[in-house]
Amino acid sequence: MSDATAPLLAVSDLETHFPIRRGLLRRVVGQVRAVDGISFTIQRGRTLGLVGESGCGKTTAGRSILRLVEPTAGSVRFAGREVRAERPAALRSLRRRMQIVFQDPYGSLNPRMTVRALLEEGLLVHRMGDGRERLRRMTAALERTGMPAGTLARYPHEFSGGQRQRIAIARALVLEPEFLVLDEPISALDVSIQAQVVNLLVELRRELGLTYLFVSHDLSVVEYISDDVAVMYLGRLVETAPATDLYARPLHPYTHALFSAVPSVEAERRRRRIILPGDVPSPARPPAGCRFHPRCPLAEAVCREVDPPATTIGGHRVHCHVAARELAAGDAAAASQRIASLLTAAGGDRGEASKIVATAATSPHSPPGSGKATP
Amino acid sequence: MPLLEIRNLVTAFHTPAGRVPAVDGVSLSIERGTTLGLVGESGCGKSVTAMSVLGLVASPGRIEAGQILLDRDGRSIDLVGLPERQLRTIRGGRIGMIFQEPMTSLNPVFTVGNQVAEAVRLHQKVSRQAARARALELLRLVRIADPERRLDEYPHQLSGGMRQRVVIAMALACEPDLLIADEPTTALDVTIQAQVLELLADLRQRLGMAILLITHDLGVVAETCDEVAVMYAGRIVERAAAAALFARPLHPYTIGLLAARPEHRRAAADPLAAIPGMVPQPRDFPAGCRFHPRCPFVREPRCTAELPSLRELEPGHLVRCHYAGDLGDPATVPAEARAE
Repeated sequence: MSDATAPLLAVSDLETHFPIRRGLLRRVVGQVRAVDGISFTIQRGRTLGLVGESGCGKTTAGRSILRLVEPTAGSVRFAGREVRAERPAALRSLRRRMQIVFQDPYGSLNPRMTVRALLEEGLLVHRMGDGRERLRRMTAALERTGMPAGTLARYPHEFSGGQRQRIAIARALVLEPEFLVLDEPISALDVSIQAQVVNLLVELRRELGLTYLFVSHDLSVVEYISDDVAVMYLGRLVETAPATDLYARPLHPYTHALFSAVPSVEAERRRRRIILPGDVPSPARPPAGCRFHPRCPLAEAVCREVDPPATTIGGHRVHCHVAARELAAGDAAAASQRIASLLTAAGGDRGEASKIVATAATSPHSPPGSGKATP
Repeated sequence: MPLLEIRNLVTAFHTPAGRVPAVDGVSLSIERGTTLGLVGESGCGKSVTAMSVLGLVASPGRIEAGQILLDRDGRSIDLVGLPERQLRTIRGGRIGMIFQEPMTSLNPVFTVGNQVAEAVRLHQKVSRQAARARALELLRLVRIADPERRLDEYPHQLSGGMRQRVVIAMALACEPDLLIADEPTTALDVTIQAQVLELLADLRQRLGMAILLITHDLGVVAETCDEVAVMYAGRIVERAAAAALFARPLHPYTIGLLAARPEHRRAAADPLAAIPGMVPQPRDFPAGCRFHPRCPFVREPRCTAELPSLRELEPGHLVRCHYAGDLGDPATVPAEARAE
């Protein structure tokens, strides 16, 4: 067992590449670099939010940790054990402690199995308890998720989306895991139901001391549920920070753009929108240098050539040349404001694929209260 | 005269299990050049309303009552009961449409240029060459980069955001007065959604067309719409100018939706203010006010027995609730106890 200060989960330089095969001989002609060298830790009882757009690799990252897809390099340490080195029997016992809840409660529950069969499967695989004990565990797990005991005899189609997601959560809980990967657990649910499930997850975390990896594209829910947040773009983590820090002082231009793109009901929360040009490139052919540079309004020559290393300030880690320079000149708050104003100034050329480089730095459009001028 | 006026529309599906009234007395109007947001959750009837306007309700569905009046050069025509041939000139002509998943509107075996040009030629008698030139112009209008090259590409070669732009270009082929957009950005990522919403706002301004935007996302409505209609269980429950609705929602359902957002909490540790219960399905809409089983302000016996009318509580602000404006204190029953 691990000591108290070691993180429950430590992921370092994790890579999951998928081969692209072509032709009659199915020769490997390239690699989709879905996850391409990510590192993070999660302390016991805490929640890491993993955000990013479709295709950024966040789902593959979650599955790689459980080895539902095999990583191609790197290390995943869970409770002091290297998940990637475990043989099948030992892996099975580890997996009892790390469970996953999928996005789609329609697809993740076999429609031909009763809820009882769905929940009991894991208990049987892990040889947990006799018949009576299994029933007790299943009833307790359902009760925890707000489902009546009578649920056991019924089939998934008899339930609404929100109830099915509760059943999926109960199925994970029945094994009494310590760690849950929650892969877009509320995205398929109706708006009025999402808050119910989020509240349930928060309550379970508190009562059972669970640790979560919360994978989502919903930035406001991630802010609510997470202690720390990692922003993923094209297989890499571009920025990681405590949630309050990241939302108050984002540094990476992509994080700024992502936050600004979320439509909000509250007028005062609506930021100056930063419209990014173009689309996310294919993870089979990631751009050289900084992977975000083709869409980055602040890209400079160095960004096209050099992969930005991590710059760390407190618990806040960012991979960006511009942010690194701004951080060298001031604190995180000033750097964040300065990058925001550079982006706003560059945003005059909306939707066009052309890049604004030098003009941004001398633009007079800094909003009041922004950071200091360029040195 | 509004560009489009829907009066007491009833669209029902006749299934072996009985009659399912998906849209049950909906009235709406859209002025020229404005955007109306129609918001609601799955099964509330928002998409069926749009399909009814387009005359695309398929059997076993049927428009059973109501009028859909379209202003055509000062003359109002009722789209309900219009022969299919005439409907076809309006659909894609006066009224353009885009849907959530662009691939359902694009044919994978034809090039982009081919399909946009076909949309042009369906409604305008022009040569192939002129249609292709117009297609190129339309791709430029929706700001597709490198449009000459894109004309000869197939849909699978484009990204999701680009495909939605192509679909928008097709919808604009005949310079419609009204664009019906059903969840146009739901399948897109937020940064691409921002691009497409900005494009729609820009096109509306430049072309002066009206937009009926159907969505489940209140944020999208707040940022793009002039007017909002909130639908619940086949009926409009609240209608107002967007600014008024978000500043002072009156229906308990709208209040609940806005309060459930994480941004709405007072303290970081507070649980979200979830709406208890489930979204009702059309085959078992509750009696009385259809929101009453989930409403924290419910008062017996009126709410459970009597259907509230849509009344104008403030100028231009309509609400279907017996007690709106005077809701009293919410019930203190914990959400979990009421959930099942």
